[in-house]
Amino acid sequence: MLQRFLDPTVLAGISGLDLVARTVVDGFVAGLHRSPDFGFSQEFAEYRAYTPGDDLRHVDWNVFARTERAYLKRYRGETNCQLTILLDCSRSMKYSSHRIDKLEYARYLTASMAYLAKMQRDAAGLIVFDDEVRNFIPPSTRQGQLARLLHAIEKAEVGTRTNYEKPFSHVREFLHRRGLIAVISDFWEAPENVVNTIAPLRFHGNEVVLFHVLDPDEIRPKFRDPALLEDLESGATLEVSPEYAAKEYPAKIDAHLEDIRSRARGAGLDYFLIDTSRPLDAALREYLAIRKGRM
Amino acid sequence: MGFFTPWFLAGAVAVGLPIWLHLLKRHKTDPKLFPSLMFFEFRETSSVKHRRLDHILLFVLRTLMILLLALLFASPFIRRSAAASDGKKLTVVAIDRSFSMRDGDRLDRAKNQAMQVLGSLRPGDQAQVIALAGQVQALTQVTTDAAALRAAVVAVQPGDSRASFGELARYLRTLSEAQKMPIEVHLASDLQNSAKPPGFADLRLAPGTTLVFHAVGGAAKNWTVENVVAPRRVFDPKRVKIQAIVAGFGTPAAKRTVTLVLNGRELQNKSVDVPENGRVPVEFLGLDAPYGFSKGEVRIDAADSLPVDDRYYFSTERADPRKVLFIDDGRRPRAETYFRTALDSSGDGGFQLESLRPDVAATANLTGYAFVVLNDLSSVPQNLESSLQHYVNAGGSALVVLGPGSAVLPRVPVLDEAIQASSYAGREGGLFLTVTDSDSGHPALRSVDRFNGVKFYQAIHVGAAKSRVLAKLNDGTPLVLERAIGEGKVLVFTSTFDNVLNDLPIHASWVPFVAQSALYLGGGGAEQPLNVAVDSYVELRTGDGKGAAAEVLGPDGKRMLSLEESTKARNFALDREGFFEIKTAAGRRSLVAVHADRRESDMAPIPAETLDLWKGTGSDPTPGGGGAGATGGADQPWGLWPYILLLLLGVAVAESVVADGFLRPSAPQREELKREAA
Repeated sequence: MLQRFLDPTVLAGISGLDLVARTVVDGFVAGLHRSPDFGFSQEFAEYRAYTPGDDLRHVDWNVFARTERAYLKRYRGETNCQLTILLDCSRSMKYSSHRIDKLEYARYLTASMAYLAKMQRDAAGLIVFDDEVRNFIPPSTRQGQLARLLHAIEKAEVGTRTNYEKPFSHVREFLHRRGLIAVISDFWEAPENVVNTIAPLRFHGNEVVLFHVLDPDEIRPKFRDPALLEDLESGATLEVSPEYAAKEYPAKIDAHLEDIRSRARGAGLDYFLIDTSRPLDAALREYLAIRKGRM
Repeated sequence: MGFFTPWFLAGAVAVGLPIWLHLLKRHKTDPKLFPSLMFFEFRETSSVKHRRLDHILLFVLRTLMILLLALLFASPFIRRSAAASDGKKLTVVAIDRSFSMRDGDRLDRAKNQAMQVLGSLRPGDQAQVIALAGQVQALTQVTTDAAALRAAVVAVQPGDSRASFGELARYLRTLSEAQKMPIEVHLASDLQNSAKPPGFADLRLAPGTTLVFHAVGGAAKNWTVENVVAPRRVFDPKRVKIQAIVAGFGTPAAKRTVTLVLNGRELQNKSVDVPENGRVPVEFLGLDAPYGFSKGEVRIDAADSLPVDDRYYFSTERADPRKVLFIDDGRRPRAETYFRTALDSSGDGGFQLESLRPDVAATANLTGYAFVVLNDLSSVPQNLESSLQHYVNAGGSALVVLGPGSAVLPRVPVLDEAIQASSYAGREGGLFLTVTDSDSGHPALRSVDRFNGVKFYQAIHVGAAKSRVLAKLNDGTPLVLERAIGEGKVLVFTSTFDNVLNDLPIHASWVPFVAQSALYLGGGGAEQPLNVAVDSYVELRTGDGKGAAAEVLGPDGKRMLSLEESTKARNFALDREGFFEIKTAAGRRSLVAVHADRRESDMAPIPAETLDLWKGTGSDPTPGGGGAGATGGADQPWGLWPYILLLLLGVAVAESVVADGFLRPSAPQREELKREAA
């Protein structure tokens, strides 16, 4: 029953992102996760030999008494992870061949991830961009953060064309603490540009996952008649025959997707292709799988 | 094969429309938005492929439809030999039974000729008998029954209508179109020249029609009473003038005695000299008619072979003059004088003027007056105005004359329009005003000649919110206004009748204006004429007169209408001479005198060469065709339009079905449309 509410067409009928996120997450997630970092909570993890420079407060003096060696006691703590979602709101995200467009789908995904992070007591933040950073909510666990995020997601409107260079250089300045970065975009850009621009985020120890949101019509366009296509972002027009769309285009788009996937993996980025006609759970499962890997 | 209107074939160029729709238009559809054209490429082949025709079947059907439409308008025909119908022909026997056939034994001779023609028919030959008068009457269907044809000829009776060979030719053209076989027409007639239509083209016959004349009379000496002018109503018998014209056709100069007869009583005799082949007017003074309708007659002692045109019927009605109330406060005595004089000189108007002061008129019973004139009253007593309103609402009429006296009133009495100002002819704009706009079709202004030459120095400017302006001065001031109130009507003249504010009473248009207005307001203008020619129609009821019975008594005193006709018939055709007593559905009774058309009295025949030309119009125009009717082998154009029309309908239906299949949106398109609608 709950699975039904992961269907994007069903979600489109629910008003309010808050309710959408709750519906999705409550039907999907059970339980919290463990922090990837050792912290200072009550659950013991292991002992480590003391090395000069370690904080003496963490030395287990009982062990020292018995063994005359200094060991540090380490705990597995439920610490906070920082999740930053980069949401592409370029004009191409407005495309849709069925009930909901890519931006709407990305909104649901973003809201669900933010809600999931809140349940995990993670600090969640949001950056909305097209060729500039349009909105920035710094990651935080403060009271009301979810409301701020949902409001920003709701407010995100299609802008102009995508340009990863400029916004991502800003993003690198904003992010000081390592964590998980989720980039949700249709990535209509040369794969090398995409990966080269996003990969530097990985250098700070961040885990980066690319959610590639595409409409089914973008992957397999269906034209019965010759059509004049207009590029949503550049406004350029081109005559397209059904034969080309049926034969050559699928090969090209498949090659493009494969290229972007392999380059992303090569650069240590997680990559996940999402079809907007599919339910949201696959994307969330991917997110949680990555999250689990960080434990 | 040919075309009746070949220039419509130019419409075939419209075939470019489906070509444009199918070949070019689709190429220019609205662009479809797509996120990125990264992986699309411009291909020359793609563009060329667009240039092929889409929906070939639909295109073919649409093209065919346009071509058929152009072909339909061009009216194609093929020539078919009329002889193709097994060498058969149709014999039409036409017998003239017009008024002139009463001369001597012309009709009997015509019937004999017709019998001879019928006798010459072989068994199985198709024939038809028709009678010719004002209209063509088919006495039989096209038949091979010789007995029926003979009986029809025997049954032909003389009529009072005027023959029309134009009608005969039109009937024969229609018959030829319907029968699709050669027609041989035998016309037994006196072939009067006056029966010819004005244009010779109206006499043309369809190809394959042979005309055989059987002349049964020639030019004959004939005197006749050509016309009589008698007043419709007689108010003063001593002042009545009856004018008649006595004419002779093909006659020598002779002396004739003309007699005026009323209700069977000879009143006056006059002897006139009728010139050779000419006319002479006769005038009788005085008509001692009793009250009510009288049957009048002017007759001559002609002693010719057509005695029925030696008398001319007329009808007249003796009545008392109707009273007209002239309400005047005495300030403008000349107005009454001018009005009375004009009314008296208007001939048979039959009005008697009675003048009263406003305070006396306020207590008078207005219902007995034909209409009321308010002559420039400076004050109208309250009870006078209310009784005038009652009078007009109940169907009475009023003529309101405005002047300096009534300019002080806030509103025009009875008409209820605001009096705004006085308009003066100023030195700067001209020394006088003239009428620029006039509704000369209105009964009150019909013979007024637009007040030509009349100078107006002052007029009262009246608002026309509820009224209709019939005449206007050159500065825009309404001069004559009219308004219907209840069952009655009010006419307003915004200048005076006393030759002070204008010089109308001394102009030629004054008497016609007063006479026409009096007739219009007094209810004498819209009645049916009492003296008409044969084949005229009288109106028995208007649209709303349903239910009430009308009645027509013929010259022999018999009822002419069945019970159903008396409750439904709107018109009645007067098809013979004599007096008809008419009672319309509205209850109005009248006696209508009907006389034969006097063109029938001139029995000069059509010249032989004209008859030959007429015959020739039925020949085959194509070289070598010979006498079409004679040989029965003329080619006739055979229109193909019914077949093309059927084909066009079939193609249109097929186009609809195919278009529905091709152009119905696919399931994804329907989804998209639904989403857009949502």
